[in-house]
Amino acid sequence: MQEELLNQITQARATAGGRSTNARQRIGRLLDPGSFEEYGPLAGRTTKTDDPINADGMLGGVGRVADAPVVVACYDTDQIEGRQSDRNLRKMSKLLYLAHEHRWPFICFADGKGARLDDPLPPPPIAVSARGRFDLLDGLAELNGWVPTISIVSGACCEGHSAIAMMTDFTVAAESASFAAHDGPPIPASDFATQGDIDLVLKTDAEAIDAARQYLSFYLTPETDFAPSDSASAIADVIPDNRRRPYDMGKVMNALVDADSAFELAPRWGRSMLTALARIGGKTVGVYANQPKSPLAGAIDADAADKAARFIELCDAYDYPIVSLIDNPGYMVGPKAESEGIARHHARPLTALHHRSVPLYSIQIRKAYGLGPYAMSGWGSARRMPDLRLAWPSVESGGMSLEGAAYLVKRKEIQAADSPEEALRIRDEYAETMRDASSGLRAARSYQFDDVLMPADTRPRLINLLKALPPPNRKPHRFGGLKRHAIDLR
Amino acid sequence: MSDLQDSTEQLREARDRITDAARPDIVSRITDSGKMTARQRINALLDPGSEVEFGSIAAATEEGAWVPEPGGVDFVGTINGQAVIASSTDYTDHGGGYGAGRLGRLFATAYERRWPVVLFVDGGGSRARHPRTGMGHIETSGPIGRFSFLDGLPELNGWVPTIAIVSGPAFAGHASLAGMSDLLISTPGSSIGMGGPPMVEAALGHRLTPNELAGAEMHDLGGGLDLLVTSESEAIDTAKRYLHFYHQPSIMSQAPARVDLSGTSGTTEIIASLVDEGSQLELRPNFAPNLITLLARINGHSVGVLANNRAVEDGAITQHAATKINRFVELCNAYDYPILSIIDTPGCTIQPRRKKQQDPEPGSIPGLNRWHTRALLAHQQRTVPLIAIQTGSSGGLAGKLMTGASTSRGVPLMKLGWPNVEMGRRDGFSVIVDHNAFDDIITPEESRERVVRLLNLVGKPTRQRDQKKHWIDLW
Repeated sequence: MQEELLNQITQARATAGGRSTNARQRIGRLLDPGSFEEYGPLAGRTTKTDDPINADGMLGGVGRVADAPVVVACYDTDQIEGRQSDRNLRKMSKLLYLAHEHRWPFICFADGKGARLDDPLPPPPIAVSARGRFDLLDGLAELNGWVPTISIVSGACCEGHSAIAMMTDFTVAAESASFAAHDGPPIPASDFATQGDIDLVLKTDAEAIDAARQYLSFYLTPETDFAPSDSASAIADVIPDNRRRPYDMGKVMNALVDADSAFELAPRWGRSMLTALARIGGKTVGVYANQPKSPLAGAIDADAADKAARFIELCDAYDYPIVSLIDNPGYMVGPKAESEGIARHHARPLTALHHRSVPLYSIQIRKAYGLGPYAMSGWGSARRMPDLRLAWPSVESGGMSLEGAAYLVKRKEIQAADSPEEALRIRDEYAETMRDASSGLRAARSYQFDDVLMPADTRPRLINLLKALPPPNRKPHRFGGLKRHAIDLR
Repeated sequence: MSDLQDSTEQLREARDRITDAARPDIVSRITDSGKMTARQRINALLDPGSEVEFGSIAAATEEGAWVPEPGGVDFVGTINGQAVIASSTDYTDHGGGYGAGRLGRLFATAYERRWPVVLFVDGGGSRARHPRTGMGHIETSGPIGRFSFLDGLPELNGWVPTIAIVSGPAFAGHASLAGMSDLLISTPGSSIGMGGPPMVEAALGHRLTPNELAGAEMHDLGGGLDLLVTSESEAIDTAKRYLHFYHQPSIMSQAPARVDLSGTSGTTEIIASLVDEGSQLELRPNFAPNLITLLARINGHSVGVLANNRAVEDGAITQHAATKINRFVELCNAYDYPILSIIDTPGCTIQPRRKKQQDPEPGSIPGLNRWHTRALLAHQQRTVPLIAIQTGSSGGLAGKLMTGASTSRGVPLMKLGWPNVEMGRRDGFSVIVDHNAFDDIITPEESRERVVRLLNLVGKPTRQRDQKKHWIDLW
């Protein structure tokens, strides 16, 4: 072959390898060392041999995380602000094709400022431009629920780039990140995190990348070695003796799951609902739980309902069995909750649970009042019942809070009482009889639960049941091969 | 065993007691307040002579005497000759606490026979009489029978239309039934909420009337219901119209209204010029009004229409408008209505949340958040054909929310543009010439005929399938 041609390419490759330092570092931190196989490193803005734009502003390729294949794309903000061009969108199209065809997770570093306005070919959106199997957004929509899709953002994320960040099922940002339209004010990552538009905000880009690896590990490594947490045997101690005192459900979860395995999602949004990926007996599970120490004391408002619904769909799509921890005073009531449409939103977790395929194990820790607890375990008859419904000795249940129910049942006597103290006494006395009726042992006697057991016995029970499940099916299919369903991102 | 003659007599007596004629005082009180009794509602809904009642005398008192079933009435009958399940709570009796077992049983029939369901729900939830244990209402071993009364609706969701009419206060379980239905119709002064005034007073110390707490008027603006109508009888007519789209997906055509489209036309005029006159049934009209969603007929075909409304915020797609697209596209897809998408939007915007409830609604800012993606996801799984007509501009990604982003799945059957279209910074002619952005450019006057031909090609939907495509999101 002609020496000159060989030299040309060698030189171009060397130049390309020396550029995009920051983008390469980010990809390097994400992927297993030395595993990156780059696509289109020589793509340029033009066809000139001395084109100074490396990889046309977006690096992409295939690599490995935890020794499993993934697809990665990284807009290079050091080159034309990482903007999207026809060329790098065609590259993106190829990457989306690979992720879809082989069922490989897709990760995008989504910093950038939207379309390149002076691109010689049209920027998106163009209705019919045959770039490949998928254009950018419908590619992401197609991947949704098929493989995990992740965005990592640590700078300005505008226009078409913010659309990518909003389209992925796990979006993690550094504190420095912001989101904007081309002519709109930037919205800081923390604002988006509190309203559920992104999942996690961490201090640095490096932490965000590590979080992406951790999120992927639950999918890529369905089973690992495991050890119980230090607090496993003392799990009962988390629950205060005083039944009115709140506690941190996160502590219950951490004691239940394998040591240091819990990875909380969207901690700043819908805080009365805790959602986390974790491992039990080395197997990936999704845990969702009411949070008694939240401002709403674990009551489910529209945000919490949406958060639970989204999480259930996510677990179902990726074959994660679900564990729910119940301590729920009900759906949130009052004018604010109603104005947010809780009477509609309440049905979303119920409907998601109803249509799930993965098993669910529910553990009632303390309260289950009204309709809210059904959001934690489903109605449980037509399609899927919980595989196991456990209770701890501390349970109490009813159509409404026992004091409230006692008031309604004894209303006449209470209203006829001589003094407020007397009224309260009548109410509380009756409430106590109901509490006794709903106690753990009586519930066990009447087979309201599959078992009522000591808190510390819960974990071994779950490990055994999870062991019986087949490994998740992650086979690729021919084009048109089907995911269970999309994951509603809100 | 009791004597057949005696027990037949006893049955007759019990039957007599369940009629409205047996309780004139209650009936006149209801009629005076401008409302209908449970039986009057069912009579107005079903074709005369078609109704079959279930469980009319189901309940017994503690002494063993038969009484009318407290809480409500349940029927199977027809509307325009098509079978439906119809049920109404009876709020004069035990606050409308429903006969849950019967409803669950009828939901199973609705599922088996694929019959739509119409529910009148007003009342204060289940009857909190006795302490319950375990998970409250439902035992862990599962209720007997295929469905409990509450998981019946999620199962029916997307399989057959389910309609709830709330013409009074609906709280707790009643609100849940309403909130889980595809089409939620309500009347002024009604309320729909997860917790009624006594519970709110006990929990939060607010004393509020039902309507102050969770008024239908508020839900009409906030998206918590699909249609607010003036009266119970209008609600019944609306339910019938809604079912007519489903049961008769294709009927004799009506002409469109005569609309002059020369000069500048508003979105409503454009819609009127395309659909059969008098066929429109708008859904969620006052929630995110910058986007219009309606069922209509075009040349007799049932269709769903999505349109950016230039009259409100210039037709920008807020996150609420996007979520409205999502639910509507899912509805059309589940029930096989082709979609006509009329595009004229400057772009996507975000309406920031109020910091405090009493703050004024903050203005929208350009941008998009996760809610916007729901429109794209809905189109991605859409299998009904979509015909798009761009009548003006399409800024940023907003146009894709109206059609889906697809080059693969859910590609519009035909994407049409009027000569004045603009995409981003480009005019229609150059996008067409350069990039095939449109399948054709047509004049406003040609538009209906083009849509009619495409719909004729598509033909009547077949609904033969073993299971639903997917559920319809409730929000």
